[in-house]
Amino acid sequence: MAILTVKDLTFTYPLCEESAVKNVSFSIEEGAFTVLCGATGSGKSTLLRLLKRQITPRGTENGEIFLKNEAIETVSAARIGFVMQRPDEQLVTDKVYSELAFGLENLGLPQNVIARRVAEMASYFGIEDWFERDVSTLSGGQKQLLNLASVMVMDPDILILDEPTSQLDPIATSDFLGTLKKLNRDLSLTVLIAEHRLEELIPMCDRLLIMENGALLKNGAPRDVIGTLSADDSLLPAMPTAARLYHALSGKGVCPLTLREGRNFLENNFRNDIRQIPPQEDIHKKEKALEFQNVCFRYEKELPDVLHETNLTVYENEIFCILGGNGSGKTTALSCAAGIRKIYGGQIRVFGKKLKAYTGQSLYQNCLALLPQDVQSVFLRNTVREELEDASVAEQELPFSLSHLYERHPYDLSGGEQQLLALAKTLAAKPKLLLMDEPTKGLDAKKKLALLNVIRDLKAKGLTLLIVTHDVEFAALCADRCALFFRGDIVSVGTPRGFFSENRFYTTAAFRMSKGFFDHAVTVEDITELCRLNGRKES
Amino acid sequence: MKSISAYNPIVICIYYLSAAGILMFSQNPILLLFGAIGAIAHFLLRNGQKNARSHLYFFLIFIVLGLVNPLVSHNGKTVLFVINDAPITLEATVYGFVSAGILVTVFYLFRTFTDIMTRDKLLYVFGRFSPKVALVLSMGLRYVPLFRERAKKITETQKALGLYKDDNIFDKLRCDLRVFSILITWALENGITTADSMEARAYGTGKRTYYSRFRFGTSDILLLCVIILCTGMTALGLAWGALDFAFYPMLTFTESTPLGIASYLSYGILMMIPIFAETGEKLKWQYLRSKI
Repeated sequence: MAILTVKDLTFTYPLCEESAVKNVSFSIEEGAFTVLCGATGSGKSTLLRLLKRQITPRGTENGEIFLKNEAIETVSAARIGFVMQRPDEQLVTDKVYSELAFGLENLGLPQNVIARRVAEMASYFGIEDWFERDVSTLSGGQKQLLNLASVMVMDPDILILDEPTSQLDPIATSDFLGTLKKLNRDLSLTVLIAEHRLEELIPMCDRLLIMENGALLKNGAPRDVIGTLSADDSLLPAMPTAARLYHALSGKGVCPLTLREGRNFLENNFRNDIRQIPPQEDIHKKEKALEFQNVCFRYEKELPDVLHETNLTVYENEIFCILGGNGSGKTTALSCAAGIRKIYGGQIRVFGKKLKAYTGQSLYQNCLALLPQDVQSVFLRNTVREELEDASVAEQELPFSLSHLYERHPYDLSGGEQQLLALAKTLAAKPKLLLMDEPTKGLDAKKKLALLNVIRDLKAKGLTLLIVTHDVEFAALCADRCALFFRGDIVSVGTPRGFFSENRFYTTAAFRMSKGFFDHAVTVEDITELCRLNGRKES
Repeated sequence: MKSISAYNPIVICIYYLSAAGILMFSQNPILLLFGAIGAIAHFLLRNGQKNARSHLYFFLIFIVLGLVNPLVSHNGKTVLFVINDAPITLEATVYGFVSAGILVTVFYLFRTFTDIMTRDKLLYVFGRFSPKVALVLSMGLRYVPLFRERAKKITETQKALGLYKDDNIFDKLRCDLRVFSILITWALENGITTADSMEARAYGTGKRTYYSRFRFGTSDILLLCVIILCTGMTALGLAWGALDFAFYPMLTFTESTPLGIASYLSYGILMMIPIFAETGEKLKWQYLRSKI
């Protein structure tokens, strides 16, 4: 039975010529796990918000929406659960348990009912251990899990999620998606989720919807939908590695989605006489841009070291990526290098000069700049134009253009646009060494590729880039050298092909797929090239 | 008996209101003696050897305030000695120290009270009266750390961009002001998300209830009864004048009546409750452990 039915839905924002949602019709079966994807600005969020009346934006609307044959306008808030993007801002109260109870309090349920449901959800989601904590002490992943739990406590018929993992790191993302799948399987909860990162999500969904420019382009089983995409489709970069490979090699037959299927696809279709893609040579200049010598840092006297005798060397004009888990000290290392935090032991040298020798603002003039993880904290003004003038950005020197955004408020820009504006502001001081903290956070696949090009342009202009990231796929594409950070120290360094083929878990999906079949192939491009060299199997 | 902090917050509130209230409305050295012993002993039981500085401050307040009264007030019959032709009387001295003692005892009570009544317990008490007030307080408490964190983040970012100057006080002020102004924008922007999140969870659709993790159990009712009984008895004694004590012209107790004695005893019991509770719990544990 269809639980949610949308018929000919069209929606236009006030003062807008073009409709944000155009003539969309679909229905969702009870207990289905549905993924909605599309580029930023394709109308995903608008569509999802139209399904939840309490937060529907203003505008003109045509069409009909039914939840279990009931017009959506009359459906109470509790029956449709909605989880949004930002973990922090969705939280209303100060304690974990009061957040869980918030929705039920609003429904006016008696204390004993609330107590039972809260207890039930807390143990289902495994949040008993932090039940009495302040929400401000939770990690991003825990916050988002709490948001999910405090929606689930109201026992909704359908759960709608709007890019819930875009602000989370990969481990927290896996955790969150795993919980979603468990909810879907255990409680046969109907899930509708919009997401950018599809590698893990696609194999667990029953149905895939694709939106483009407000229209629903595709609607079907994920294998069929992805199989029928064209090889140059703009959404393809977002798809799982196996599917990308299938398209890059113009595959025939059933489209593989998981790593296992991708491996079978390779083995069944291609020879592997030439196994080795030549490892990259480690060529770098002699001059050191940044050097850590036995650096020690801790946040407070009583706490353990976050950086413990850390040694790290970044040479001039290279792109150096630092990977590592949460709390391994990556971000702390960046802020120490940028002089925001003071180390208590060892030495940091920037272009051969001790960090302490840079007095006043001299470190930040023509020398070093830090682009933080949360790019919103870069903005101080009300329009993009003011922002650029303020920092006296030389726009003609930028590898991208922002002129079409001049009159917008920085906070109103999309994630990718904010990233570029922040980057422009950071580049204004003409740094020779640019430190970037999680630059790909919250970006869709297309924006990531655009950022990759920008980073390469900056390198070509002579900059040195030190990038801290969770995104192994991104690091494999952009880095000259990669390093793994663990408990405040570097445990391994190497060129991407060398580095990722040494790792078993902390490596790219492409390498995990091709390991043992090919050597050192860490990106889809590497595998594609090897397949071309080897040729197809005769069948 | 379990530790006083394990009881329902409303019971705790009533207890402290009664203990401090009686003390403040009476000027009686015997009640003060009970009160001071109870309050200080409880404080020591909870905190042990720590807080030496607080003890010193409280003692200094006690001495200074106690000495001020006989220096300015010269009432009373018994002259102890004369300074600069001004008689220092026993009665004024006692009055001074009793008043100072009451104040310091209330300080001690307040210290343990704030220690026991954590934020969520206070919210629970407010929530009983008005769920709305409790929600507003809870949201406020959520925003304080959120704001602080945000302000720090923006300042740090601006510093690393070389745009935030703190070379002199005017530069720093100018930069702080800009950070503050964007902080407001940020708060309003996020307020929209929070409001959406609230409405998405049925906020404003009807009368709210209030959930808390505190229960009103049998032991709470029991303790509440004891508190009310003791407080009532003492209040009765106060009202009937059985606990009257005159400082001037001479220190005089009212003749002891059965009601008076019962009232003194009641207040004594009231002030001993936390000590019984605290030591009782410790003893129980030791007993249980010896059995294991």
